[in-house]
Amino acid sequence: MINLDRNSIAGLIALFLTLLSSTGTAVADVVTPEVPMGRGAQCVEPIEIMRRDHFEFIKHQRDQTVYHGIRGTRHSLAGCIDCHASKGTDGEFLPINAEGQFCQTCHTYAAVKIDCFTCHATVPD
Amino acid sequence: MLLGSIFAILFYLATVIFLVGLGERILRYSRTPAPLVIPTTPAPTTRTGVCARIFREVVFFESLFKGSKWSWLFGWLFHFGMLVALMRHLRYFTEPVWSWVILIQWAGVYAGIAMFLGLAGLWLRRLMVDRIRYISAPSDHLMLALLLAIAGSGLAMKYGQHTDIVSVKAFALGLVRFDWQPLPSDGLLILHLSFVLVLMLIFPFSKLLHAPGVFFSPTRNMRDTPREHRHVAPWANDPPRSSSE
Repeated sequence: MINLDRNSIAGLIALFLTLLSSTGTAVADVVTPEVPMGRGAQCVEPIEIMRRDHFEFIKHQRDQTVYHGIRGTRHSLAGCIDCHASKGTDGEFLPINAEGQFCQTCHTYAAVKIDCFTCHATVPD
Repeated sequence: MLLGSIFAILFYLATVIFLVGLGERILRYSRTPAPLVIPTTPAPTTRTGVCARIFREVVFFESLFKGSKWSWLFGWLFHFGMLVALMRHLRYFTEPVWSWVILIQWAGVYAGIAMFLGLAGLWLRRLMVDRIRYISAPSDHLMLALLLAIAGSGLAMKYGQHTDIVSVKAFALGLVRFDWQPLPSDGLLILHLSFVLVLMLIFPFSKLLHAPGVFFSPTRNMRDTPREHRHVAPWANDPPRSSSE
């Protein structure tokens, strides 16, 4: 086993306290993604659930639609885009997977690739 | 924020113990005398050869491959699965995420599965091969259980109960930038991080020390030159005087 004398234990505690005390003095501020606000009062599901499971909803809807022919609209990707696409300065909709837009902001932050838009439209109809 | 603060303090504590403990061990290994020339032959006779041998040992687990194919298969799956899975986790600590980390994201998922399967295989071996079970200590089983729990809780978050990974990244960045952020209170995430904390805490005091230890192994890092050079351990140059003088 490690034989720690009194000095090295004091050193360890000092090191730990230094780490703790440096907490107030951030070396760099933590950035969190800032997404454009959506339109409408609220999302189809609570925000906390959407942040964790939005892809499951979209994928489930896809399976319902493609395999079973059930065309619901509650969790449709087109619905996401209708509320969450923003307009540029020229008044035209920006692609939702463009840098800084609703989908892409968090997906870039977390390094998650989006497959949806190789087929689906990125702007509302 | 309370949860985030508790885990931040625990991670700082675990990091200090991990780094200082590991450093102390490495220092001790480097000072331990190797009085005899005992490379496992056939052994290289040059320094370059020794470097190549250690490289093969560390990257391909050469001697394990020669010794036991099943252990090698599961062991290699586990270790390199873990390596790639760890590299995938760099996305939580870098902003913007490094481009090569983005490129390996897909591979990291399969690496996690490989890690889980490798560990499961190693544990089955320990349980089902009589002579291995006989020599297994409780810590051998517990270490596999801990690593399996880490891989399992991670995969369960990927494929089952998801967590808010954007908040998790903010928390991780908060740790390294000394700007604490809240941690989402999802059960699997708490479990995953707690198991990792335990791993960091016991690493410097456990069999996991074979990671730095392999580099100090005299049977691997010595040249086979006992006839060309007389090997004298440093302490043997200055023998202690006998007490009768």
